[in-house]
Amino acid sequence: MKFISDLLMTALYTVFIQNLVLSSGLGMSEAIRVSTRPGTFGKFAVMISGFSVITSAVCSLIDNVPAVENATYAVRAAIYGGVLAAVYLVQAVFMRFVLKADSKLLGTLGIAALNTLVLAIPYINNSAAYSFAGSIGSGIGAGIAFVLAAALISQGSRILAENDEIPEIFKGTPAMFLYVAMLSLAFAGFTDTNLFA
Amino acid sequence: MSERTPSFKDVFIKGAVIYNPVLIQLVGLCPVVAASTTLKGAVMLSAAMCAELIVTCVIASALLKKIPRWIRVALYLLIGLALICPALWYIETQTLVNLSLGMKIYLPLIAINSVTAVHCEQVAVKNNVKLAFYDAAAVSIGASAVFILVGILRELLGSSSLGGIHLDLPIAFKGMLLPFGCLVILGFLAAGLKAFLAWAYPETENESDPVERQRKTPSAEENVTEVELFDEFWNVSEEPEEVSMDVSIPEPEPEKEKKPEDIRLETAADIDEFFKSLGIDLNEKGDKR
Repeated sequence: MKFISDLLMTALYTVFIQNLVLSSGLGMSEAIRVSTRPGTFGKFAVMISGFSVITSAVCSLIDNVPAVENATYAVRAAIYGGVLAAVYLVQAVFMRFVLKADSKLLGTLGIAALNTLVLAIPYINNSAAYSFAGSIGSGIGAGIAFVLAAALISQGSRILAENDEIPEIFKGTPAMFLYVAMLSLAFAGFTDTNLFA
Repeated sequence: MSERTPSFKDVFIKGAVIYNPVLIQLVGLCPVVAASTTLKGAVMLSAAMCAELIVTCVIASALLKKIPRWIRVALYLLIGLALICPALWYIETQTLVNLSLGMKIYLPLIAINSVTAVHCEQVAVKNNVKLAFYDAAAVSIGASAVFILVGILRELLGSSSLGGIHLDLPIAFKGMLLPFGCLVILGFLAAGLKAFLAWAYPETENESDPVERQRKTPSAEENVTEVELFDEFWNVSEEPEEVSMDVSIPEPEPEKEKKPEDIRLETAADIDEFFKSLGIDLNEKGDKR
């Protein structure tokens, strides 16, 4: 029971309170790109959650190895990055040669696996001292947080595109940056952050 | 047509200014949003990104052209880690430099930055080492300029200091240290760059802006099933060794049916043609050089 509650609490925290895309900028480039393709949201949510969960779980187990417990961040970076690359390659080989996946799906797989959001999850788990269940929860939450961010950006970009009152020089990317800034500010509100010194 | 390698100036103007990776291409946002809160942090991230991007692009151009893309993208991560981890280890254990926790986490994340994957796939694996180096250097300079400018503004406005020296300014808006503050600054910088491009390079107006381009071509979403997602996603042209697919990028050139493997950016005209293949016509801009 504790396992489930840890998992759910961490997943909810990762999605809504500490939305890693909007409050930390992790995977933001990918989220903005994905936001233009609402049809791919589900696929990205599943893939990012999958990679985050597997990488988190493996790294969480490795973190408990005595030799790694007091390792420097450089050593951890090498371990986490190596684990992510290995997880991606195993999955890609399986999909390419066993499931005969086409290059389009492999392209999606690469984007979903190899981004800052997925690689950052093990660091966050380690620094927040999440349990094994919490690590899995944060992995699941990362995928959902990514899609929540992409959906909010997608909805906003449609409204921005129809708004003729935006000055010409701010149309497009500048307006998108400012809109994402507002979203980021909204999520910062959940963390009780003081905006003024 | 004279056969010459484009000068660094040619590549620089396009890679660092017209297609600035952060402000125009919207790649590499993570380090600037999350970690460029001080001038010192921005300089460290810039240095790490320059080294990682240049070395990875050169290796990709020299050694990785024959390897399938789905393997290459993992190799970029491993190459980046092989560069950054020893440097981070040296700083952590052999020097007195006290890195913040954020920097210890975000420095290794440079290894998986989207700037690297995009430029290795866009330019490095399709061209010679010299041009890959030029492109990586230009993009690094363009991204670093944004990192450092953002770092200066955030430290000034958020902490009332610069380079760690307290300046006693009347305003200290802590919100500038949050991603929110960075995104506001990026919005205004992007608008400033857009105004500059509209003045200096009017042909590129809105065409280099992926958000505007998406708005003007809403049907692009329907074509996503016809192209490899990585290409469409990052506006990368088709990979030579992959199965041929109809890339639905606008403005095809009917008179020049070049195969992807024939695309070599060895002349200034080739550079223009390459960007045309991405749906962007910069010929008039090239004439100004």
